[in-house]
Amino acid sequence: MAVKSLPAEFYSAFLSDAAKERKPSPIRGLYPLEARPGVISLLAGKPNATTFPLTSVKLTSRSPADPSKEIETEVSGQALAEGLQYGPTAGIPSLLEWVYDLQQREHGRKKGEGWRVSIGSGSQDVIYKAVATMVNPGDAVLIECPAYAGVLPMFQALHCDLIEVETDAQGIKSSSLRSILQNWSENKPKPKVLYTVPYGCNPTGMTATLDRRREVLALAQEHNFIILEDDPYYFLYYGNAARYPSYFSLELEEPEVGRVLRFDSLSKILSSGIRIGFASGPEPLLQAIDMHTAVANLQTSSLTQAIAFSLLDAWGYDGFKTHTETVSRFYREKRDVFEVAMRRHLSGLAEWSTPEAGMFFWFKLLLVKDGEEGDSESIIRTKAYERGVLALPGTVFLPRGGKTAYVRASFSLLGEEEVEEAVKRLRETILEARAQAA
Amino acid sequence: MSGATTTHVDGVPFQDSVTHSDTAPGSSLQVLPASFYASRLSHASLRRREDGIRALLPLESRPGLISLLAGKPNSETFPITSLQFNIRDPFTPNGETTMQLSEEELNIGLQYTLTSGLPDLREWIFGLQERLHGRRKGEGWTVTVGAGSQDMIFKGVNALMNPGDAILVETPVYAGTLTIFQALDAEMIEVETDSHGVCSRSMREMLENWPSSKPKPKFFYTVPYGSNPTGSTATLERRLEVLALSREHDFFILEDDPYYNLYFGSSSRPPSYFELEKDQPEVGRVLRFDSLSKIMSSGLRVGFASGPESILKAMDLHSMAVNLQASSFSQMIALKVLSAWGYDGFTAHTARVAQFYRQKRDVFEAAMQRHLAGLAEWTSPEAGMFFWFKLLLNEPGSGVEGEGDSEYIIRTTALERGVLALPGATFYPNPRKTPYVRASFSLLPEDQVDEALRRLREVVLEARKANGSKRS
Repeated sequence: MAVKSLPAEFYSAFLSDAAKERKPSPIRGLYPLEARPGVISLLAGKPNATTFPLTSVKLTSRSPADPSKEIETEVSGQALAEGLQYGPTAGIPSLLEWVYDLQQREHGRKKGEGWRVSIGSGSQDVIYKAVATMVNPGDAVLIECPAYAGVLPMFQALHCDLIEVETDAQGIKSSSLRSILQNWSENKPKPKVLYTVPYGCNPTGMTATLDRRREVLALAQEHNFIILEDDPYYFLYYGNAARYPSYFSLELEEPEVGRVLRFDSLSKILSSGIRIGFASGPEPLLQAIDMHTAVANLQTSSLTQAIAFSLLDAWGYDGFKTHTETVSRFYREKRDVFEVAMRRHLSGLAEWSTPEAGMFFWFKLLLVKDGEEGDSESIIRTKAYERGVLALPGTVFLPRGGKTAYVRASFSLLGEEEVEEAVKRLRETILEARAQAA
Repeated sequence: MSGATTTHVDGVPFQDSVTHSDTAPGSSLQVLPASFYASRLSHASLRRREDGIRALLPLESRPGLISLLAGKPNSETFPITSLQFNIRDPFTPNGETTMQLSEEELNIGLQYTLTSGLPDLREWIFGLQERLHGRRKGEGWTVTVGAGSQDMIFKGVNALMNPGDAILVETPVYAGTLTIFQALDAEMIEVETDSHGVCSRSMREMLENWPSSKPKPKFFYTVPYGSNPTGSTATLERRLEVLALSREHDFFILEDDPYYNLYFGSSSRPPSYFELEKDQPEVGRVLRFDSLSKIMSSGLRVGFASGPESILKAMDLHSMAVNLQASSFSQMIALKVLSAWGYDGFTAHTARVAQFYRQKRDVFEAAMQRHLAGLAEWTSPEAGMFFWFKLLLNEPGSGVEGEGDSEYIIRTTALERGVLALPGATFYPNPRKTPYVRASFSLLPEDQVDEALRRLREVVLEARKANGSKRS
């Protein structure tokens, strides 16, 4: 049975004024004419690639199946020429095809369902553009709380009314979302977007369960908003339960698809410095994102795309999957080390839920016996600092700011000994704070 | 080194590398102070908030402290183990060198880096700016690396104007920047240009007759070498006059210079605005943009801005919110090539590139003479990759009004005859009909150039006949 997708006109209500005002480049309208047989074109202001000094690129990468071995891949000939020259805004064809294949295998989404893909300079790049494409200054925006601090400035710059949706150990609280929307004042336009990180949320580390996801999708249908599914830790899931489908996948259960705009990143699995991510979602929204790209930074680096593709292509999908599982296990082990230290030193002094994805522990410092929560920020800057340990005060992750006793600790980098020592110092910090409060 | 630390939100620190000073040590340069910029940055810039993590990062430097702050992935999980590439030797035409990233270089290239760019690449750029433009550190300016100069220009413009502001734009102008101005609802004041570059006298008249009630333009945007589309290069006199005007009327100069190294004129090279401002009574009005797109690789996406610290700081804050940084990987590849060349190699390579385009220009010019003499008007470019020429669509004395519309001709007659050039109308801020076209001579081999212009000749002849017969 064919998948039904929302029509293009549906998205006019979801495009920002800025997006609507963007005019397509007049030059671009001419390029299709170049395809006419026999035409000699003097259009393109591209530099001549014979002046580019790079002549071949070779890389080696660990074999996913056997990390002690290396695979050599090359970017040469046509692929290198393509990598060195200006390319299509949405990405080089080979990498785009790889992404389409990935989205089909991982999320069951096929071409021809009203969606397409654009490669971004990191997922931050395409998330930013999506926000600029969909949100007008002053708009209300639904955002899970706490949320990735890196998106808050985007909304703040637009003076958004950030509507905090509660979260807990099962991820976003659909009951909180439902309540917000059912009690929405008739005088105010409803929010058009919901931002969420469903796997290993930064900072909470929590992963949204299947039930929660289904409920959120139902609410998206009922109250007409689009889900911005920011999923950089999707491949860093190491929970015991079977993996939950993404929103992008689950929306296939809905009568129509087209309410999910999904963001993937290679930063946590291939390289953060290479700056490659991608957006998958409704064509009109991706089109608007591309038009923004055409003005702001033209395209993601063709060369890094070509290099990434050569590696991914050599691995094949199975190799890619195996690699992500290895990465996942790596972070699981690191989580285990951290958790052991927390149990050893912070039982009774902190509260937390164990993350099943990503690289963060989010825990509440039990600074006072009862009553007020306490403020982790002042503790960190003073007592923790003096004792030689720093964790991130939770307040930076609260969309509307405020005091909180929570902190975020990253377990991605430190070795076992340093973790042990760091958590021990946190223990002493909390004890000191409690003694003082008493 | 002092200076505020600014970081990408997940805890990657960076430091401004230049201390701010009002007077460059040991020189008589009068550098504009930070306060000058505070009132001239855009509202959007001033509103940008630094995130809460920033404030904590300086604390990480306490000896013995263990930090759990940074949300960086662990690079042990990054699978790339080596990168090697060959580059053509800039000194010997057929020589090639193999470059290999060291383990350290690879690690740097694979991980997040400072917003303003890889430190070593920035250092190399400082050296280049000294070598090419005589500008040294300590003159109130710094550099930041971007994802192509388009990225940098976008951020520079966003830092210096508010929606609706008036700006001076040399006209015709690169269409890619036009879209940036349009996105910000700029009031684009067209400043005409000729074969010597921007008409500074025209600019002076405009500014001297500016209505006193209206705020003056915030900046002047120019591509002073091999302007896209006109191909003209601004002379020294024109540049000096613009610099004087920038002081008199208080505007910044956005010097977009991607073809700086593609100059092949016979006369000696005019200095850049960035260089010339050194001799001005005050320094700090020029924001310069360089690109590696025309000399190393357009697909790599590495460009850089050089200019007043306050402006670049605003641009970095912008980067932090929108795309974090230019690719560390691309930057490392660029750095490797540039370091291998050294500045002498860089000069040798760019000289060869300029020669290459000169030859291509010569081929194009010869074909223009052959096929379009008397049917088009043009001035031969001395930099870059474009010919800008006016199609003479009406026969002299035909009495037909107006000069004609190249866009219409291109989409119809030219297309039918199998040749495409870019209609000049694309390059004007305000819509107009024009008989000008832009042709790029960068790509086509000699025989195709000849055929293309032969066909264009047919097009013009046909148009003239059609126009002639309109007259009844």
